[in-house]
Amino acid sequence: MTDADTSSAGRRADDPVEEAGALARRVAANVEEVIVGHHDQIEHILTALLGRGHVLLEDVPGVGKTMLARSVAASFDGSFKRVQFTPDLLPSDITGVNVFNQKTQEFDFRPGPVFANVVLGDEINRAPPKTQSALLEAMEETQVTVDGETYEMPAPFTVIATQNTVERDRTYELPMAELDRFMKKLHLGYPGQDDEAAMLDRVVGNHPIEDLSAVATLDDLRDARQAVATVTVEEAVREYVTRLAGYTREHAQLGVSPRGSIALLRAAQARAALSGRSYVVPDDIQTEAWVVMPHRIQTATAETTGVDVVSGALETVPVE
Amino acid sequence: MSTGTGSGASHASETETDAGSRFSPRRLALVSAGTLVFSFVAALYQIIDVVGDPTTFVVVVGGSLFLATALSRVLRARTAFTIGVVLLVGGIWSYASALGVDVFAMQDSIINDVMSLLTGLSVLRLEMIELWVVSVTPAPVFLTWYLAMRSRYVATVVAGGATLTFFVLTGDVGTTVALLGVLGAAGTIGFGRLDRFGGDHSATDVLAVVLAVMVVLTLTVSVVPGGTSQPFQLLGAGGDRTMEASLINNDQRLTVQGSIELSPEVRFTVESDERAYWRVGAYNRYTGDGWVRSGSAQEYPGQLPGPPGRTETIDQRVVVESRLNAMPAAWRPVSVSDTDNAMVSRLAGLQPARPFTAGDSYRVTSRQPDATVAELQEAGEDYPDDIEDRYTQLPASTPDRVEDRTDRVTDGADNPYETATRIEQHLEEGKAYSLDVERPDGNIADSFLFEMEQGYCTYYATTMVTMLRTQDIPARFVTGYTPGEETGDGEYVVRGLDSHAWVEVYFPETGWVKFDPTPAGPRSEAEQSRLEDAGVSDTDVDTGDDDEEETETPTDTPDPLTDDTPTTRSATDPRDGPGGITATDTVTEETTAPSRTANASGGGSGGLPLPELPSGEQLALGAVVLVGLAAGIRRTGAAERAYRAVWLRWQPRRDPASDVERAFERLEYVLAREHRPRRPGETPRQYLDSIDADERARALYDRYERVRYAGEVSEQVAEDAVGLADRIVSDRTGRFGS
Repeated sequence: MTDADTSSAGRRADDPVEEAGALARRVAANVEEVIVGHHDQIEHILTALLGRGHVLLEDVPGVGKTMLARSVAASFDGSFKRVQFTPDLLPSDITGVNVFNQKTQEFDFRPGPVFANVVLGDEINRAPPKTQSALLEAMEETQVTVDGETYEMPAPFTVIATQNTVERDRTYELPMAELDRFMKKLHLGYPGQDDEAAMLDRVVGNHPIEDLSAVATLDDLRDARQAVATVTVEEAVREYVTRLAGYTREHAQLGVSPRGSIALLRAAQARAALSGRSYVVPDDIQTEAWVVMPHRIQTATAETTGVDVVSGALETVPVE
Repeated sequence: MSTGTGSGASHASETETDAGSRFSPRRLALVSAGTLVFSFVAALYQIIDVVGDPTTFVVVVGGSLFLATALSRVLRARTAFTIGVVLLVGGIWSYASALGVDVFAMQDSIINDVMSLLTGLSVLRLEMIELWVVSVTPAPVFLTWYLAMRSRYVATVVAGGATLTFFVLTGDVGTTVALLGVLGAAGTIGFGRLDRFGGDHSATDVLAVVLAVMVVLTLTVSVVPGGTSQPFQLLGAGGDRTMEASLINNDQRLTVQGSIELSPEVRFTVESDERAYWRVGAYNRYTGDGWVRSGSAQEYPGQLPGPPGRTETIDQRVVVESRLNAMPAAWRPVSVSDTDNAMVSRLAGLQPARPFTAGDSYRVTSRQPDATVAELQEAGEDYPDDIEDRYTQLPASTPDRVEDRTDRVTDGADNPYETATRIEQHLEEGKAYSLDVERPDGNIADSFLFEMEQGYCTYYATTMVTMLRTQDIPARFVTGYTPGEETGDGEYVVRGLDSHAWVEVYFPETGWVKFDPTPAGPRSEAEQSRLEDAGVSDTDVDTGDDDEEETETPTDTPDPLTDDTPTTRSATDPRDGPGGITATDTVTEETTAPSRTANASGGGSGGLPLPELPSGEQLALGAVVLVGLAAGIRRTGAAERAYRAVWLRWQPRRDPASDVERAFERLEYVLAREHRPRRPGETPRQYLDSIDADERARALYDRYERVRYAGEVSEQVAEDAVGLADRIVSDRTGRFGS
């Protein structure tokens, strides 16, 4: 989905929405220094970032999930932390602990890895639910509570979690309610033949990620997020989102929640900004619906998936 | 019919469903059944309207409909059927008992009467017709409507159709109303089936088209060259121009005709010691457009009573010269001899049991009332009840202005005799004589009095009787022959062209006295020229050479008046046999150039003829045709296409936002025709990409997108968008292409 109309909009260069779009495109280009192919997924991660959402990457091991997340994080000058989820991981291993300070005779809080601008939660489905929920609380509330003390998360705060689709027997499937908190669920998939060859070419010698430098500051990101929130959503588009959500609720056991509708709208706002527009068009909604909606839908039978339902919704719900 | 605007799409579906419920098969079936009921109720109404006040009848019909509607919810069909039969039998029984008829004793004659009704005898002939109508009406109305309400559509048509058929057979239903009834029956069955077995709009449309085609075909098949020779006349009557068939053939019903012809054929000769009008029959019941004689004829009993007062006896011997289904005789016949063919009507006239043929003869003795003018003037108004009942009837629909005019004409008249002579004089002087008239619609007397300037004897006589009856003076319409040519001593030759219609007025103590409002002079001229045209002197010895003599010798007024009273009734020349009764089989010359009554009326020569308003039935048929046309148009989508063509080319400006949206709809419509319609889930961008739309289309979309999704509305954007749409549309379709 390309957008040719950026010039006709006739916006000034210092327009905040325009700048947000420019930022996203700059970061995307930067990430593509490291990641070959996966252009759409990179854009999806960036729109999630601008739309204040979190991303769940699901795929087989070794397709570059972690590398993608690291590249995005490295493109900003913010902090980046990585947590490898394992069956014996405890909640405090994520959130941090209070340690008794002999000198001051007081407990000092040692923040866990969750206190970072970009947190990569690797193989989140390997940890037990209690540990998972510690991360999820941080995602939803943008705060962490330890021993009754509440600690604010840094801003911006984005979680990119990955999930392994093999070795299902020793994993803890994320419950629906927790999946709902991820704005998007993405699949990377294997690279194409040309892409894979190009990738191999790059990793010979120094891995490009080592040379990757930040192209944006956290302030840039914060401004961009604010600008994206101002992108116009006219009633026609809001109604379209409502009808899509309504369709999924009619055609599945569990349809898209209102939280899902909000997420879709925010992602679409970011998508519009990325395309250089200050208003959302139905195309933005359609592009984002494929990744925002399916993981929130529970179908009655195994034959149909959330993707099928979304596909049905996009085909039948009229665009007006 | 869907509207073109996109926001109107939802409206369109709403109106569609709206229309669906309004034109549901159930509703249409009920409307059709209502039409069927209406058709025979209309026939009954016309009958009741002739004899008097229709209020009771309307109440009865309304009550039956209400009862049927109410009971249709609670009553089973079997019970309702029983109720219907009970109503019918009870109605007939109450009618019979009111007549004082012993049903069981008179079975045969009742069956005979029913048979003659079913072979074309108008129910108007029945005695106490008002009671008959009110007694008979409830059953069919109740049954038909009840069955329709119960969705028993076939049974509805059986009940209603049988009733309608009865009135068709008695000749009391006009073609238009009958056609309406048939349409109702067809519609009831058709829509009823759709109602019971389901059917969509298209089936309803098709049925509506079929009904319309039924009407159009029926109306046009007769004007197609080589089609049926007897044209179906929706407007006016016309058709049969020969009145003799209906008049002299002893029909019980006489319809006033339009232009007519004169026949010079000799009918019969009379040997009589007195000149007289050779009277054939009288009619008592006026229907507005014709006359009906009620009651049936009976065997001649051997002797008949004479009139009450002083009389003059006339002995006549009649020799029939050509087939004649009448028995002319001077009023009032008291005895008949030399034939066994005589019957006597309820109105004391003679008629043959079977038509006379050439060479037949009979003798009649008549006793003509012989009262002086003074006696008639003093006769008073003490009429017997049965005479008053029978001979002062007028259709309830008779306009009041007839009475008003009569009041003025007869203002100052002290007695019925004077009233009658004034009316006679008024008509004689006020109207011109002509055989060429356009038969008016509606009440003949009213039309003749107010709208027509000329007419012939039937019009004069009808109008005079009507006027007399508005004054409550018993009068009746009489047909027969003028005395004819006197060829020798007491011998009269009577031809077809001598046929005539006149008036009889009742005077207590005297009986029926003849009045003839038709002006004498013009009649004899018409007749004379007809005789010359036919070269009559060659055809029959009896006519002899008396032409001039006849015209030269207008005899004095005939005979109720004695010679010693110089009478005010001066104008009736017995020789002046007017036209009005002619035979079909003669060599006739049609008079041409019918004069339009509308032209002739009141305002003089300059006025344009006003188009006559169609009747309710004609309007109903027209409505059926229009609905069928509309359904056909809807079926074929012609209206939709026409609407689209206009919609596409002409965009009225409203506010910028809707202007832009409409402009984009026009674009989409054009593109849909050129490529494919946009799929519901397809965004406009995807659509334009997939059909590889050109720059202008994209520019227009850009305006649309900004208005619709960015809320950037301005006059300029709207201007651009509409301009783009106009150019795109005219490029693709041309100005008038589609």
